[in-house]
Amino acid sequence: MATRTVKEINNSKQGNVTAFQIKDCALIVRISDQLPAINLRELRERISSCSPDSIYHHFCETVLRPSFDDPEFHNDFAIWARRGLHDHVLAERLEMLDPYSFPNMEELRKEILDILADRLSEIYYIPWALHENAFHFHTATTVVFDTNMVIESPELLGQAIADMTTSSLYYHFWEARRRTPERRDDFSLWLEEWNDRGEKLIKAFSSIDFYFMNLRELQTKLCTTIENILGK
Amino acid sequence: MRSLKEYDDIVGPAVLNQLGQLAGNLQGLKVIHVNSTRTGGGVAEILSWMVPFMQELGIDASWEVVEGDKPFFATTKLFHNGLQGNQVNLTSRNTNAYEKTSRQNAKRLRSTLEPADIVIIHDPQPAMLLHLCPNRRGKWIWRCHIDASRPNRQVWKYLRPYIESFDASIFSMAEFSRTLPHPRFLVAPSIDPLSEKNVELPEDEINDTFSRFNLDRERPILVQISRFDRFKDPLGVIYGYRLLKRFSPVQLVLAGGEADDDPEGAKVLKEVRESAKEDPDIHILLLPSDAHRTINALQRCADIIVQKSTREGFGLTVTEGLWKGKPVIGGYVGGILLQVINHHTGFLVNSPEGLAQRVRYLLGHPEMITTMGEKGREFVRENFLLTRHLREYLTLMTGLRRGFSNRLIATG
Repeated sequence: MATRTVKEINNSKQGNVTAFQIKDCALIVRISDQLPAINLRELRERISSCSPDSIYHHFCETVLRPSFDDPEFHNDFAIWARRGLHDHVLAERLEMLDPYSFPNMEELRKEILDILADRLSEIYYIPWALHENAFHFHTATTVVFDTNMVIESPELLGQAIADMTTSSLYYHFWEARRRTPERRDDFSLWLEEWNDRGEKLIKAFSSIDFYFMNLRELQTKLCTTIENILGK
Repeated sequence: MRSLKEYDDIVGPAVLNQLGQLAGNLQGLKVIHVNSTRTGGGVAEILSWMVPFMQELGIDASWEVVEGDKPFFATTKLFHNGLQGNQVNLTSRNTNAYEKTSRQNAKRLRSTLEPADIVIIHDPQPAMLLHLCPNRRGKWIWRCHIDASRPNRQVWKYLRPYIESFDASIFSMAEFSRTLPHPRFLVAPSIDPLSEKNVELPEDEINDTFSRFNLDRERPILVQISRFDRFKDPLGVIYGYRLLKRFSPVQLVLAGGEADDDPEGAKVLKEVRESAKEDPDIHILLLPSDAHRTINALQRCADIIVQKSTREGFGLTVTEGLWKGKPVIGGYVGGILLQVINHHTGFLVNSPEGLAQRVRYLLGHPEMITTMGEKGREFVRENFLLTRHLREYLTLMTGLRRGFSNRLIATG
């Protein structure tokens, strides 16, 4: 990555403020030991016992894997309800779940199970999918690595984000919310150190409804936001 | 041999930098791929770029090939067909031939394979080597390139003990996997954008292809590239074309490899020719197996790519079509579902009528052909080029060395 905004780590301090170290990540997806689900009841059973990593994967890591960003649905359970079970009501309800509004995956799991139980109580049959459309549970391992690049000031953040890989952006904006105790993106946490210069950006970032964007859209949105606040 | 740097213009420097960073913690790792042929077929095609690229990234990668006689390869062909669910008759003569040749290969390769850090065995042909290398030091991975979800029971019963002993396995899609007592990973296939089949072609060469095959560039062209196989439904494509012909002066190209060694393929080809013979706008092209550039040019001549399979693996012809910036109308099966998204990169159809209706719609909305094509190409750039494929192997190898948890910090 060669840009005017980032540079090799050697002098990563500017005054008392630490430069932002750009990291990147790569995922390898693993097929879970859970059996695939073929109908709504099985889906409920499997979700009740699958690992929290699996729930996280199907809600949050979907943006990173090789598949098309579904324009209508953003988590795998909603997509399967729509395409596998053809239950549009259930798909819409599951789609409204924002995983980042839950304190952890266990709370999200409870909410999903509630939605599924409600749906099962409303209908007089068990929606099922064809064998070839069964729901397969996955988990993923994220390997995180340094890019050896840093961002030295908020003014350089926009160009640095524009030059980032989508996986780097995922790591700092999405995955950070699971990783950091504050459950916030890495950029905002870093910008806190920059007082007034960072404050407006932090506020603007917090109002971005990123969950319904793909990573390219998020990248553009962040760059535009920074440009609007700090200028080119 | 190409260098990774040559992909810079296509994927961007950040992606290449990412591969370098990821490989930082794998320097000097001894990785050996083993398959059954150095030329011909998808696996050899993958290894011919993957091994040199791993070497370029500082990994001590190499490629070994199992050798065998006719009875050995006849047996492994049975395995191949049986794993994909075909009815086969596996005799003790077959298994004896397989075991005898595997022992000979183990004798030749043991001293190379046992000290390796990671051994990746591609498909079932070399699978028995693991049992014959008792002093193996590293992790052994079984890379299954085919749909093994519903194997012939006799074949699976025989192969299962060998396959279960691996430390992990890799499948192209979850739907293609079997339950196994070790971790199973997903790595989708990819295309090489600089290969003969996908590289940008000079305008002259595309123009020549129109002339060579007597294609009228003033009228829409539909192209399906596939073997003459019932699961690719060439007769269904012709039927859909005939429905469409009432409304639009389309031309249809059905192009595929030679089927001399496949009696069923020859039969299907005959039926296809019979079905098409009255119509000069249906072009049935039987191409040699190395006609990659011709296929490339035909895909670029197309207005719309068709892959109306009724059963499909991953469907790399779909990936190739999308990479050429064409919308794809594909069957609602297999890996096509991962690539063709209705109204975005093309349309999924379940019948010849569906094919005709979707082509008619697109021809009536030519701007959609352009926008879908652009979207499809970007989709492939992000997800299905060899750089992503390589990245996932590097990620997997990091995990194998460090143990799998939900997050690993790589150290360079």
